Parts: sequence; structure tokens; C-alpha cells
Amino acid sequence: MTDQQTTPRRFAAGPWRRLRSLRVRLIAVFAAVALLAAVSASGIAYWLNRDAVLKRAQDTALNDFRVSLSRNVSALPLNASCPDLTTLASTVASSGLSYDVVVVDPAHPECTASSDPGQFTLADVPAALQSTVARQREITETNPYPYHLYWQRQNLAGRPFVIGGTKVVPTGPTAYMFKSLENERADLNTLGWSLAIATLLALIGSALLAQAASSTVLRPVKRLGDAARRLGEGHLDTRLEVEGGDELADLARTFNRAAESLHEQVEELSAREAQSRRFVADMSHELRTPLTAMTAVTDILEDEAESLDPMIEPAVRLVVSETRRLSDLVENLMEVTRFDAGTARLVADEVDIADLIMSCIDGRAWYDAVELDAPRGILAVVDPRRLDVVFANLIGNALKHGGSPVRVRVRESAGSVVVEVSDSGPGIPEDVLPHVFDRFYKADRGRARSEGSGLGLSIAMANAQIHGGTITAANGEVGAVFTLTLPLAPPPPPAEGETGGGPAGDAAQDKDAT
Amino acid sequence: MPFLLLIEDDDAIRTGLELALTRQGHRVATAASGEDGLRLFKEQRPDLIVLDVMLPGIDGFEVCRRIRRTDQLPIILLTARSDDIDVVVGLESGADDYVVKPVQPRVLDARIRAVLRRGERESSDSSAYGSVVIDRAAMTVTKDGQDLQLTPTELRLLLELSRRPGQALSRQQLLRLVWEHDYLGDSRLVDACVQRLRAKVEDVPSAPTLIRTVRGVGYRLDPPA
Repeated sequence: MTDQQTTPRRFAAGPWRRLRSLRVRLIAVFAAVALLAAVSASGIAYWLNRDAVLKRAQDTALNDFRVSLSRNVSALPLNASCPDLTTLASTVASSGLSYDVVVVDPAHPECTASSDPGQFTLADVPAALQSTVARQREITETNPYPYHLYWQRQNLAGRPFVIGGTKVVPTGPTAYMFKSLENERADLNTLGWSLAIATLLALIGSALLAQAASSTVLRPVKRLGDAARRLGEGHLDTRLEVEGGDELADLARTFNRAAESLHEQVEELSAREAQSRRFVADMSHELRTPLTAMTAVTDILEDEAESLDPMIEPAVRLVVSETRRLSDLVENLMEVTRFDAGTARLVADEVDIADLIMSCIDGRAWYDAVELDAPRGILAVVDPRRLDVVFANLIGNALKHGGSPVRVRVRESAGSVVVEVSDSGPGIPEDVLPHVFDRFYKADRGRARSEGSGLGLSIAMANAQIHGGTITAANGEVGAVFTLTLPLAPPPPPAEGETGGGPAGDAAQDKDAT
Repeated sequence: MPFLLLIEDDDAIRTGLELALTRQGHRVATAASGEDGLRLFKEQRPDLIVLDVMLPGIDGFEVCRRIRRTDQLPIILLTARSDDIDVVVGLESGADDYVVKPVQPRVLDARIRAVLRRGERESSDSSAYGSVVIDRAAMTVTKDGQDLQLTPTELRLLLELSRRPGQALSRQQLLRLVWEHDYLGDSRLVDACVQRLRAKVEDVPSAPTLIRTVRGVGYRLDPPA
């Protein structure tokens, strides 16, 4: 059912089918999960680390700045001049940790005292920080100082800095500290790269894992598919190895059970078929013995019929003719059972097809009713007896159902000999045409007793096929046309067919030797 | 009047064929088993034997082989099937021809007369092919001066081949000439008879120098160079 649905789409949706394959889907899901996990873990780690690193760096710097500033600011004279402020800035900055200091005093607005004047000025301090630092707090129990130390992170000329600022006394100068966070940023960048690489590795790892996982799932699925295909090809003994107890093992067990039951059913069917074939074969064999005895005396009866009582004569003639019919029927039945059992053998010899047809027509006294168009010299390796059966059936059938004149035309084409038998009758109805080679199929069902056995064309077909040829039936311009196509040399027989060797086999060896 | 021995185990067939053959002008003795047949054969020396293949006790092939050990009279097999192993084995055991059941008495009679004609003498002289000498007048063949025991069919085959030395004859031609099968002859008859003939006349039957196979055609008698 599903197969029918997918079949029309199979070709149109080829690339899609591949994308939707189990393997691709598994890898996609694994990769998505790995990506999500790796990115969230790395992200959290990065932010926590970043926070901790920056906080520690700036806390250290700010503490140092506060201590150094409070120690040095007391040494400043009351009305400090600009050089005094510069000295203060340098002194505080040189306390040990590498930061720079800018000191501004409301008393000298024109003076900007910087430990590194080329690098930092008051302009580098954000306005928001300046106003916050300048604001005086109310002194309460919980807040013993009117001025606090404030800080802000800021990029200056593309480089990260933490800028801290405070006022020591209400009228005194304001000091700002610039601490570079370049090292910390480099550390964090390294960390970021490491995490990105780790995420990438996790992705690759997950893809490989998905591949491995899909293989462990898909290998049994592929085995199952292969086994199902073999089963479909007719290898009914195909079974799967059941490993473990998972769903796939269950599936394998179910497959094995299905195959087992299929095997049994097919065997039972073929056993029954073989039995019925054997029955037909045995029966025709058994019929043959009394028929042989009857046939032996029919000639005597026929010869004496004329001298018999006129009442008895028709009875004798009836017995004679029906014995012959029965004999033909049994012979045909035996022929059919031989084909069914595959024991029919070719006794091939190289013959002239025209000669063979001629003798077939002569032997049955059909010469007046048949127009023969057969060039001599078309030689084919055939079983003359079997081919005679084919010709007799085709021509006899044409004479019986089509009516004379029957035309027989022989031609050679491309390694084959083609024999056309056409009649002048009404042709074959279209609905009958596919069944003309069926056994016991009679075109006219109303005619209960036909002259033929109902096996003739089917035997002709089987005989053509054992030569590697075939017969086709069609309607021509007038009447029906049966066309026999035979290869000039028959296909090599199967190896097992050479049972017993026999004279033919020896002759073949002999041919090779000479 | 030819004297025939019919060996057939089925009463009805035996009676029917006896009636028919007698009516065709033959004198017929009958036997119901191979043992009886061999005994009758020795006592009455018939001209020809019609032999059923499927016999109780010793079968037709064995009867055929035992007769061939001493005698070369014509034997026609009555076989069940035309295309199975029966025919091959029967021809190998020395039968001259075979008919398939159920056989028309006319056909059997024609075969019998054809086989019997093979032994008829011809008025001709003798010819020699190496160590093999064919005397057409006496209907004998000698090899190195010794008489060869040939059946009439083997003799006729050799005569037909030697009538056209160096010329290939097809199996179908030989079937017409020797077996008088008008058409549809079984080419295995020719092959089997050639094998038996080679076994008698050739120095090395597996490497024939006198009766050669002509690939794709048939057989040819080559006078030794």
C-alpha cells in the first residue's frame, strides 16, 4: 500500500528522499543537540569567567588607588599649585600597580595634572562619571563618607579601561584612575576561542556519534531489506540472525516467522502441484497400456468393417476412430506432463526447414490445401519430431478453423527462421487471441466436442520454446496468422540435461576430436 | 513368411499385437517374460524380435544385451516414451530400431519389413578399406581376415557409407537409406549404430579413422590413405 503511494514520487523526489533518510535525520538531530549544549555551556562559562576576571582586576586596581590616594593626598599643601597636583598624580600612579592617574582641582580649572599627560586628560573621563563623583552624599549612620569611589568601564581609542574617580575632601582635588584591561581582554579572547573550538569539536564528535549510532540501527535495517529482497526473488530459505532483544531483533524474529510460514505455504502448494502433475503423468501412463492393445486391433477391425453387418459397421468405425482420438489425447497429455516436469529433451539434428514442412504436409495428405512458399537451403539445428508437431498443429489448426487455402511462408532473418502460417478464415476474436495457447481453451464454447484435444497449440508453443523460439498469434488482412520464430541453432541445454551421455553425447565428443 | 518373436508382459497388448502382426502376414511366437523370451529364442530361432522394454524379471535391455552376445538378428524395441533415456539405453544395448507405444500396427509392420530388408543380399563385388574387407555378394565383413559379427542394420549402414566413400551423408539421409524412415527419423538411431559399428570395425573406436564424423553434417567413410 505504502509502496504504491511512494512509487510515483520516487523519481521526482530523489534528492528529497536522500535528505529525509534516517541517517541524515539522526545526524541533524545529534548535531542540533550538541550545538545547543555546547553553546549554552560555553556561553555561561564565558560570562562567568569574564565577570570574575574583570571584577578581580578592577577591584585590585581600585583598592590600590584608594589606599595610595588617601596616603598621598594628606601630603598635599593647602593651596596646592599645578605642579603639586602633577606630583600627586605621579606619586599615586607609581604606587606599584600599572595604572595612570589624572588629578583635577576646582581651584585650578586650567590645570590638568596627569601621570601621563600625553595619554590621559579629563576629557577622557565620561561626563556621567564626573558628575557622579562630584556629588556629595549625606553622612548617615550607614554612610560615614560624603564622597565615594565610583568606577566605569570605558573603551578609549579602542582599548578597554576601567576608570575610577573620587574626591578625598570637599574642597580638595578630584582624582581619576585609568586602569587598562587589555591583558584581561586578551585572556578572555583566548578563552572565547578555546570554547568555540571546543564547541566545534563537540559538533564533529556528535556527528560521528550519530553516524555510528545510525550505522548500528541501519545495519540491521539494511540486512532486513536485503533479506526481504532475497525472499522476494524466491529464496524462501532466507532467514535473519536474531541478535539481542531490542525492537530490531523483534522485527527480525517477525521476519523469520513470516518467511517460515511463506516457505511452508509455498512448499505445500508446490507439493500439491507436483502431486497433481504426477497424477496426470501416472494416469496417462496407465491409460497407455490398454490403448496400445486397442490400437493394435483397430486396423483389423477397420479392414473387416466393410464385410460386417450394416448395423455393426458404424459401431466398429466409431470404436476405431474414438480409439485413435483417445490415443492422440493421451499422447498429448503425456507430452504436456513431460514439459511440466521439465523432462522434455531435444533430439536435435541439422535439417532443411523446407524439407521438414514438406514432409509434414505430405505425410498428412494436406498438399492440396496448403500453399507453400519455402526456399530450400534454410538449415536449422532442431528436433525434427518436435518441429513436425509444431507444424502439424499450426497447419492443422489453420485448416480446421480457418479453412483453405492455408499459406505457409518461410523466411530466414537475423539468425532465426520465421514461419508464417496464415489462413483464409474469419480470424480470431480479439478476446480469444490472448488465450489461444492456453490448454483446453476452445474459442467456441458452444461446441462441446471439438475435433482437437485442446492441447495442440499449447504443445506447439512448448515445443517452440524448448528450441528457444516462440509462436505469436495475430489477425492478418484475412484470417489468422501464426508466426513461429526459431533460432537457427538451439540454446545450449542445461548441464543437468546431459544425463546418461548416450550415443549423442559420444558423437559430440567425437566431433570435437576430429 | 517372416518368423517373429514378440516379448511383452501385458496380456492385452501381447494378444492385440499378435493378432495384428499375424494378420500382416507374419508368423508370431509370443513370450510373457524376458526369461521365457530367451528360452523361446534359443529353441525356435526367430528372424526378428519385438521386445518390450518394461518386463518383470530381466528387463528388455538385458534381454537385448544377452541376445547380442551371440546373435545379430534384428531387434525392435517397444518403448514407452520417445524422448527419454529408454531409447538411448535401448539403442546402446544393441537394438536396431524402436517404436513408441501405443503403436499403429501398420507402422510396426513397416519397421519390421525395413529391418528385414537390410539383411537381403546384393549382387555386387567386394571392396577393401585397409584391413576391413566388405564382401557384398556374401554379405560378410572381415577385418584382418576374421569375420565380423554385424547386425543387418550395422551391415547396411556400412554398405551405404561404403557405396559413397569420401562423401558425407547426413543423419537424415542415412535414416532414409538404412532405416527407411520416410521422415522425422530419430538421429540417435544413426549415432548409436555408428558407435556400435565403430566398436567392431575401427582399430581404436574412440579415435575413428574409417567412419569419420563430419561436423554439422553427418558421417563419412574414409578409405585409409
